[in-house]
Amino acid sequence: MSPSKNKEPTIKRDDPMLAAEYSLGLLEGEELLEARGKMTSGGIFVSRKDWWDNWFIPLSDEMDGAAPDAQVWERINAAVNAKESGADAGADVVSLKTRLRNWQIAGSTAAAAAVAAVALMVVSPGQDPAGSAPVIAAQQAPLMANVPIGDTNLRIGVTYLPEAKEMLVSASGLTADGVHDHELWLVPADGSELQSLGVVVAGEERRVTLPAEITGNMGDGVAVVLTREPLGGKPDGVDAGPVVAEGAFTQV
Amino acid sequence: MVRAATPEAREALKSAMARLADGDQSALQEIYDATSAKLFGICLRILGDRKEAEDALQDVYVNLWQRADRYDPARASPISWLATFARNRAVDRLRSGKVRQGAVPVEEAAPIPDAAPLADSLLIDAEKATQIHACLEELEERQRGAIRSAFFDGQTYAQLAEDADVPLGTMKSWVRRGLQKLRGCLEANE
Repeated sequence: MSPSKNKEPTIKRDDPMLAAEYSLGLLEGEELLEARGKMTSGGIFVSRKDWWDNWFIPLSDEMDGAAPDAQVWERINAAVNAKESGADAGADVVSLKTRLRNWQIAGSTAAAAAVAAVALMVVSPGQDPAGSAPVIAAQQAPLMANVPIGDTNLRIGVTYLPEAKEMLVSASGLTADGVHDHELWLVPADGSELQSLGVVVAGEERRVTLPAEITGNMGDGVAVVLTREPLGGKPDGVDAGPVVAEGAFTQV
Repeated sequence: MVRAATPEAREALKSAMARLADGDQSALQEIYDATSAKLFGICLRILGDRKEAEDALQDVYVNLWQRADRYDPARASPISWLATFARNRAVDRLRSGKVRQGAVPVEEAAPIPDAAPLADSLLIDAEKATQIHACLEELEERQRGAIRSAFFDGQTYAQLAEDADVPLGTMKSWVRRGLQKLRGCLEANE
């Protein structure tokens, strides 16, 4: 059936349409990446998505309310208190070494290298000499993301250490083309604008301390995307470049 | 079971969000008490599993505490924003592969025992709910059905196409025509 014989109006797949599809969660693959790319530039696309969110969410009034188990509040409270004291008080204490070993078995070399570097960073400064192994609270477990690059075997390893609020990005397998840089973005779970995690330096490992507005969005399952940008990263006031890769954080 | 939020309840929630942004930890419990039944209902519907839904709920409130200053009253009412946040978090979890795809719908799951009765939950916005329902009613059944499944069950285009046994392109075309019409209707009602 050709469009001319079709009585229905032609579909305009414009930004408001893409924002609706993104708001509902219909998209996958390249279309999802396209929408996420637009979420990095802020402004009108984010407002369009908010517009749809605010129209769709009243539909949730049809969903029955339900009481969560009382333990959920206790867990939230414990997690908040642990973060507040910055210590491991009251939380399960697990050995970072075990987690690292598990990750190294399951993960890629780039990510494992990133973990190894982080382990050094954790252990060396001001480690309690009495402690037999570096321990951190379960709530403070490191987050790791593998971002595979296209069909290659290359991947960027991103590690985030909640306690230190530090992120380590390992792009040791990558080479610079001299024309582009790649910028890493966090996709906040609350649907707000993407946050830049900085330009990835090909062939290097980079360690940065993240500000509170980013660390608050870090969590298990939170996505990161990589965009291709002019040298120096996305210029102000323009859309981000194409999304070339994506991954998600997993708690180690 | 839902109840309309009184203006007092809305103001109390708004004020608790402001206090939380100022670092008042006691505001978190107030927000939790007022909204957790609503948000848990959303997570449970999307994820179809109590344990998963409770984990998603925990993520939402811990994240909220970490970044209480991110809520912008200009973007949405507190309850709309929190409900959207909970739905997004639940959908992320559904897609992360940790949750069995095609989990048993809540209606078909084992009945929830009396120990955990359905809880009162805040209505978001009765007026907007009426309007979006009216606009959805104007769509063809297949358009409306697909849009509702995407919202209520967190289904992607690919899953909708599979369930309806139509090619992916056909499903996209149905939904996009539906969304286009829906937009026109909602804009006309603003």
